[in-house]
Amino acid sequence: MGLRWYHFALWGGLIAGMFLLPQVVSNGTLRTMIFANYLAIFAISWDVLSGRTGYVSFGHPFLIGIGAYTTAILTKRFDVAVEVSIPIAVVVTMIAGLLVLLPALRIRGSYFALVTLAFMELLYQLVQVIRPDLTGGTRGMSGIQTLTRGAANGYYLSTTLMLAIAVSMWLLMKTRLGTALSAIGMNEESVRGSGLSTTRLKAFAFLTSAMIAGLGGAFYVHYLGSLAPRALFDINFLFTIIVAALLGGTSTIIGPMIGAFFMTFLLEYLRPVLPGAERYFVYGAIALLLYMYQPKGIVELVRRGFKGLGKGRTT
Amino acid sequence: MLQILIQGLLLSGLYALIAMGFTLIFSIGRVLNLAYGAYLMVGGYIYFWISQSLGMPKLMGVAVAAALGVLMGVLKYRLIVKTLKGDHVSVEISTLILAVVIQAGIVLVFGDSSKILLPIVPGVINVAGASVTYNILIATLISWAILLGLYAFVRLTHTGRAMQAVSMDAKGAAISGIDPDRINLITWGISGALGAIGGVFFASYTQLSPSMWVAPLIISVAVVIVGGIGSILGTLVVAHIVGFLEVIVVATLAPELRGVFTMLLIIGVLVTRPQGLFGREEL
Repeated sequence: MGLRWYHFALWGGLIAGMFLLPQVVSNGTLRTMIFANYLAIFAISWDVLSGRTGYVSFGHPFLIGIGAYTTAILTKRFDVAVEVSIPIAVVVTMIAGLLVLLPALRIRGSYFALVTLAFMELLYQLVQVIRPDLTGGTRGMSGIQTLTRGAANGYYLSTTLMLAIAVSMWLLMKTRLGTALSAIGMNEESVRGSGLSTTRLKAFAFLTSAMIAGLGGAFYVHYLGSLAPRALFDINFLFTIIVAALLGGTSTIIGPMIGAFFMTFLLEYLRPVLPGAERYFVYGAIALLLYMYQPKGIVELVRRGFKGLGKGRTT
Repeated sequence: MLQILIQGLLLSGLYALIAMGFTLIFSIGRVLNLAYGAYLMVGGYIYFWISQSLGMPKLMGVAVAAALGVLMGVLKYRLIVKTLKGDHVSVEISTLILAVVIQAGIVLVFGDSSKILLPIVPGVINVAGASVTYNILIATLISWAILLGLYAFVRLTHTGRAMQAVSMDAKGAAISGIDPDRINLITWGISGALGAIGGVFFASYTQLSPSMWVAPLIISVAVVIVGGIGSILGTLVVAHIVGFLEVIVVATLAPELRGVFTMLLIIGVLVTRPQGLFGREEL
């Protein structure tokens, strides 16, 4: 599987560092970190599907939103315990993922991106009209049960969730299954030619992605305590997820994490200068330039930097 | 009944105007320009700035908007599409990022609140009990004129035929002595201008707001997907399907559901007939 001791040492260092962080930084920074953690989960989920197999999904808010709405409706309207509602939300999201999967079996490339975009807009409009007594209509819902109190506890919960997902995805991608998924992104025909069922592989990637999205969405809504259709099914939200994954580096696990933290903190530092939606101007411009300069993301830049250093020493 | 017919016809004309520039790029450049909705928005805002804030003649507002549209199209082709060498996924993603950047730029310059655009041609006419503003009537007429003009341009002129050739096979076109780069540049310019002009009318139909670019983008996507690539006729027909669908849903079901069936149409057609209703066999 190509595992080396230093892989585990690096993961161990990261995990230890992240859990020790609340001892040194302020509560405000921790709150920012919580958002970064959830964004990292969403970015990993996007990357498992789109970064690996090359099927660009513009509909990830669709999956996240279904997870969030399911658990919110179950706990608030039907008084279901959180321990039950979150697993149900994940299952429902996976079923919704299957729904998106069906068109993907026939179409590819740009068209797939458009179908997923259409799914997202569809749900945005439907959620406001159909059963507003359940979904809260245009205004959404508030007063949803929260799982934790205080910044530190929320941080521990989100960090645990994010790291658990990251490590398990990393291990999964080290297996032959992960290699096959990446191979689909390079050349789907030759994967089929090697006797592998691309349909089954794609289905697997979809379900994994949907599972992570549902899990992230459900925990996220139980952290926020509220949700609104325009905050979830929004192109800006989609943009943040995709940009986080792309900037960090697709087809890696650490990439989306780096991207998520980079973008969240950039937005946070821009807040005093540009308080409103104008922040996206700087944010987007940086994203666009970085993406045009290096489509493989920060991870690739760092890797090249290290290579450069190595060369410097040997010559 | 007659009212639905008239409203549907007018709305469809507007939608055809909006979708045309998008179809053009998708047919010839083979890339999805997700920043297309942002062209419309910029066109609308520039018109607003020139005609309403500065008080200049309205025609000049439209002309400047169109010129800026050309500039945006050409710049985007030169700086983004060509740099990425037409890699579809990268182009889609970078145009999506660009759209969000433009949206934020609009917020930065014009503020977050939505603005009401005065009608370009004021006045209302009563047709069979339905009140029709001259504004949307003119938009429909212009849309038909542009559509016919574009059709003639693509069919009859040398440049237009070169565009067709590039859309079929860029390599083959290059061998026959056509410069695909130049043709692409022209196409992006025309598309930008069409988008900006469409934006002026769309903005006067709804209102100006920094998030107004999503709806026309979805409509354009629906029209191009259902119509199929490389089909001006398809664009026209599907703009009418989408327009009438919306008017009928608003009149008979509920105004909130107006976009739902457009979305279902996109999904349905893509799943069952990915090449569109009128497009060439492809994919």
